[in-house]
Amino acid sequence: MENKSHLLLWKGLFLLILIGLGFGIYASSKSIDYTWRWERIPQYIVSTEPTEIRAPFDGTAYVDDATNTITIESDIGLDPLIIKDFDEAMIYDGDLVFEGDAVAEQTGWTIGPITWGLWITLKLSVVSLIFAVVIGLFTGLARISHNPVLRYLAITYIELIRGTPLLVQIFIFYFFIGTVLSLDRFTAGVAALAVFTGAYIAEIVRSGIQSIHPGQMEAARSLGMNYVQAMVNVILPQAFKRTLPPMAGQFINLIKDSSLVSVISITDLTKAGREVVSSTFAPFEVWFTVALLYLVLTGTLSWAIQYLEKRLSASD
Amino acid sequence: MTKQVDERIIRAENVDKIYPNGCHALKQVSLDIKRGEVVVIIGPSGSGKSTFLRTLNQLETISEGTILIDDVSLTDKKTNINKVREEVGMVFQSFNLFPHKTALGNVMLSPIKVLKKSKKEADNEGRELLKRVGLAERMNNYPSHLSGGQQQRVAIARALAMMPKIMLFDEPTSALDPEMVGEVLDVMKSLASDGMTMVVVTHEMGFAREVADRVVFMEDGELVFEESPERFFESDNPRLQRFLGQVL
Repeated sequence: MENKSHLLLWKGLFLLILIGLGFGIYASSKSIDYTWRWERIPQYIVSTEPTEIRAPFDGTAYVDDATNTITIESDIGLDPLIIKDFDEAMIYDGDLVFEGDAVAEQTGWTIGPITWGLWITLKLSVVSLIFAVVIGLFTGLARISHNPVLRYLAITYIELIRGTPLLVQIFIFYFFIGTVLSLDRFTAGVAALAVFTGAYIAEIVRSGIQSIHPGQMEAARSLGMNYVQAMVNVILPQAFKRTLPPMAGQFINLIKDSSLVSVISITDLTKAGREVVSSTFAPFEVWFTVALLYLVLTGTLSWAIQYLEKRLSASD
Repeated sequence: MTKQVDERIIRAENVDKIYPNGCHALKQVSLDIKRGEVVVIIGPSGSGKSTFLRTLNQLETISEGTILIDDVSLTDKKTNINKVREEVGMVFQSFNLFPHKTALGNVMLSPIKVLKKSKKEADNEGRELLKRVGLAERMNNYPSHLSGGQQQRVAIARALAMMPKIMLFDEPTSALDPEMVGEVLDVMKSLASDGMTMVVVTHEMGFAREVADRVVFMEDGELVFEESPERFFESDNPRLQRFLGQVL
């Protein structure tokens, strides 16, 4: 009974500290006369502003109310533009229009720059993750290979990558390798992240494989399996389960590290945040929002891996 | 008009094993084993008996000498060792079951992956084998949910699933609680009575006396003495006497 009330007390204290921290942030923003303008943020996530449809060339517009269509006939004989999907016409029947004139409005939701940035970050992370796992798996296997060429190559790669900052690697990938192989920004960014994360995954794979008792390999080989069969059917499935927790950490790092590619002008979540700050002058709100969105990504991933771990623990 | 087959299924001649660290584990060991014979190897720990057993399926390579399994030389570079291992089953002291597979999954894995059997066929044979070792009820249990004795019986079934001609046992009961030794030895006895060629490294003198056709004594990497069990335990060889005095 006494124990239970103690537990409640500690939980209460925890909540109190959280509230205190929140108040601290509020008070400190007050002390620098910061005005919170949260209402400016949502439009950069999802925009409800109507989008305008503009005339692509000079011509004459005809509005047909019966079928709700606008037809723009070109002055110089280009194919006429027929607009059916609009909510409000901004011109009258028979108006002359010039290239770039707004002729109609479309209402509805469009995604804002922050959501777009989130999507780019997600895409960047997933694509680099897939390549990083492949690179890491093969490098990890090469690292424990008996063939000195494979082993030394793997060690050189791992040491080179782990010994240099990711930011520098991103620059090298974009300005040197990207120029030589004429890669676009996104590919260069993915390559840098995949090669960087691959080195760490290789070490995780190596330690995972080496943590499996040698008797497992002996048993598999004594049953007539060759090295590859034994690896694929016996060693790797066990190593996979054992390396899930460190892998999860590495995957989460990858998502966070992807923010560095904004330096080569990939409009990921971080760069989108910077752009929105410059148009809203609401840096606190924007960066808190961006942080929260990163937290959603990493939190989802870490939950998914925990779920996988639980499912794989059937044989424990 | 049947082809004349060599009576001796295992022929080890002057086998020497020197580890890179200089340890001389096997010294000029020669041993022939006939089809259907049960040979028990005993000796103090560090005598090289496990090492010798493991050279028979090349889990240990040898430094000198020759080993022929069913007329196939293990030292010949052209020999596909995986093919030889299909025919030489092995049971380990620490079971070495695959922990991510159920008992049945352990037994089915190699027939499917190596012998390319269909899942259905491997499943049927696997169930049959597990029944044979008395584990019909526990087929879908993971190794971690089985007792040591049960795990070792699964390991025997797993080796038998490859339909080997020879079974090697490396101290199969040494890691077991005393009350579980019997169930494993029973399976081995029934295997022996079915005519399986078996090489067993063990400390179970009772098993040697009862089941073995021949008992081999090793010490310091040398094969000191081999004899039928009746004469073996009556022998007055001084080195054997000293060892038996310690264990009995």
